[in-house]
Amino acid sequence: MTAPATTADTRRAGWLYQALRSPSFMAGAIIAGIFVIIALGSFVWTPYDYAAQNIPNKLKGMNAANWFGTDQYGRDVFSMILVGARTSIAVAVIAVGLGVMIGVPLGLWAAARRGTLLDEVIMRANDLVFAFPALLIAVLITAIFGPSATNAVIAIGIFNIPVFARLTRAAAISLWTRDFILSARVAGKGAARISAEHILPNILNTLVVQITIQFSLGILAEAALAYVGLGAQPPIPSWGKMLADSQTLIALAPHLAIIPGLCIILTVLGLNLLGDGLRDIFDPRLQRGRR
Amino acid sequence: MTLLTIKDLRLSIGDVEILKDIDLSLDAGKVLGIIGESGSGKSMTALSVMNLLPQAAQRGGSILLNGEELLQKSEREMNAIRGREIGMVFQEPMTALDPLKTIGHQVAETILVHGAASRRDAYAEADRVLERVGLPRDRFPRDRFPHELSGGQRQRVVIASAIALKPKLLIADEPTTALDVTTQARILELLRRLVDEDGMGLMFITHDLAVVADLADAVAVMRQGDVVEAGPTREVFRTLAHPYTKALFEASSHVPPRDPSLPGGPPVLEVSGVVRDYRIAPTRMFGPAGAFRAVDDVSFTIERGENVGLVGESGSGKSTLARALMALEAVQAGTITLDGKPLSDTDLEARRKLQVVFQDPYGSFNPRQRVDTLITEPFHLLGGAAPRGEERQRRIDKALTDVGLSPSDAHKYIHEFSGGQRQRIAIARALIIEPSLIILDEAVSALDVSIRAQILDLLAELSDRLEISYLFISHDLSVVRSITDRVLVMKSGKIVESGKTEDVFRDPQHPYTQELLAATPSLERSMAGA
Repeated sequence: MTAPATTADTRRAGWLYQALRSPSFMAGAIIAGIFVIIALGSFVWTPYDYAAQNIPNKLKGMNAANWFGTDQYGRDVFSMILVGARTSIAVAVIAVGLGVMIGVPLGLWAAARRGTLLDEVIMRANDLVFAFPALLIAVLITAIFGPSATNAVIAIGIFNIPVFARLTRAAAISLWTRDFILSARVAGKGAARISAEHILPNILNTLVVQITIQFSLGILAEAALAYVGLGAQPPIPSWGKMLADSQTLIALAPHLAIIPGLCIILTVLGLNLLGDGLRDIFDPRLQRGRR
Repeated sequence: MTLLTIKDLRLSIGDVEILKDIDLSLDAGKVLGIIGESGSGKSMTALSVMNLLPQAAQRGGSILLNGEELLQKSEREMNAIRGREIGMVFQEPMTALDPLKTIGHQVAETILVHGAASRRDAYAEADRVLERVGLPRDRFPRDRFPHELSGGQRQRVVIASAIALKPKLLIADEPTTALDVTTQARILELLRRLVDEDGMGLMFITHDLAVVADLADAVAVMRQGDVVEAGPTREVFRTLAHPYTKALFEASSHVPPRDPSLPGGPPVLEVSGVVRDYRIAPTRMFGPAGAFRAVDDVSFTIERGENVGLVGESGSGKSTLARALMALEAVQAGTITLDGKPLSDTDLEARRKLQVVFQDPYGSFNPRQRVDTLITEPFHLLGGAAPRGEERQRRIDKALTDVGLSPSDAHKYIHEFSGGQRQRIAIARALIIEPSLIILDEAVSALDVSIRAQILDLLAELSDRLEISYLFISHDLSVVRSITDRVLVMKSGKIVESGKTEDVFRDPQHPYTQELLAATPSLERSMAGA
């Protein structure tokens, strides 16, 4: 039985090979990787203290001493971007993660028990959450626990739950009518096992795309919360907050808006490319054509 | 007089050659049957005439309709011809109608698009056309929506909108494939009548030789983009000059060899007094819920190695019964025992003895798993006793070899296989756990005739060698006749007739069985009548 083993090996090697050959996966991985390294690197090194004000040196454009210039308090924008990457990426990753961790199982559960009272209860509860904008949830949480980046994460995460629950349920329900699910049921498999083995892998495509979309929305939502003072508290910077702070000075110092804006765009772009690449690599139907 | 002449029609999409020098001709008032298996180019020929081809398609040659060259026409000119000169009927009546438009509107639309009449006249004309296709106004008000009609009635609406402007040519692409046999017979009758009354030419595309044998004046047999044989129907079917025509003909009436001594012994499956009710939502708020009896007091047994057919039209309850046998849905009354053990949802041990093969070779596999994972799924029923390692590998190899595939196929994904091969894999999945009974739910209905003959041979051989019983559920009576020992006829949830297959087919007792058999197109009968 060595022959099939070698086939399996070449296929597994082919997986990595494909990942390396897929332009969108590689481009996405490099861009996203750079930002993650930046975020982690900021714990060890930043050119200046991100919170140190130097009023005489305010609103400088890009120069050798301050690579990305300075803001209205003379703080070094490059250092703020580095530290802000931590906040923005962490908030978005954790918030989306929270939405996926809770929303996807809820959606799978509802789909498995479709048409029952349980399905109704889960989905109507989701509707209820969905009816409140993230901002309102954040205000509620802040009113109880006080403003902080953690509470912003929770608020955005809660907002993400119904998004993923609905998407998962809709995609899963159409799969439940397929013959291969029926044949798994004939094989005596229970709903939980079928959901994990057959449903989840087949809706991964849709989920990956939604995850990249929610991630970019997460960064922007953090910015919105920061703007009304419900997110990361000063002096801790975040990209969204930097963008929000810059708007009154946009004519005077456009680099204050452009730089964090570009960072957000690039991160989102990187993640979108990564998501596209992952989707293609995980779909066996697309493998043959690319080989 | 010649209505349609196709000469040297060539078609390629990208680098792929789809049609190679097709020559066909059709006279007014005649029916031309185009026969071919999937991929033969029969639908592409029809779409070439309509110029409804995919973007990248390149056509060459000549298509003359009443002496006018269609290939030179611009899209705008073709729009004037489609619907007015050429009508088209598609296979799937469920999707060919706009669900938001009334049936009167759908038919009137054809007339209005071509500016042939005022709004009021168009609706009056639509009314008359619907009357002609057998949908009288008093029983089918024109403000009905497609979902309020049955499949056959919908196909009548589709036909009505195709013939509303009395086109000279009607193209029907597998118009009866999705319908029950009795409905099919009525639609074929209707098409023949319309051809005779209006003197239009009908191009009838099908994979089913028996359907055209009765209907068509002339046939053309297509294979891989080529017309291999064409001529008057009787002549072609009598002489079977071309080897491919002969092969098709033999495959359609194929009877797999079987060992007649086998059936007998203890019953594998005993079904007694099974009742399955569906709850119907109450019609008014807080009103009582209704119930629909889909399976009504059904009892039968299947012996070891015996092949039993279960026939009936859609809505007869045969699929519901099958689901009850799979223990996927609870029954309201009655018992089902398998090898002497009562069947239940939770008892995996009894369920080991039963496996299923479904109709759709494309939908019955998880596209993300490899063949070895797919076919070992029933091992779940064995729980802790499931074979592992070497033994598992041996069982996979054996199951794949049994169905005529190679053990190396175990590491491929399902999309790498053709429809016929997928159905073999589905059978391998059923075999791997060594069941006593396999339910074949329309298992060969989606396959081409030549592939179907191979799968039937395989099934017959497996049944004889491994002493497996089949419950063969199908709407196709000729297939049931070729492979089963005994047949059950189901109507409105009840088994109305049962007996030895040959006896039932030769001398049906129940009026419903007689009606079914009369409606089934039969090659032998149309050849005998010729």
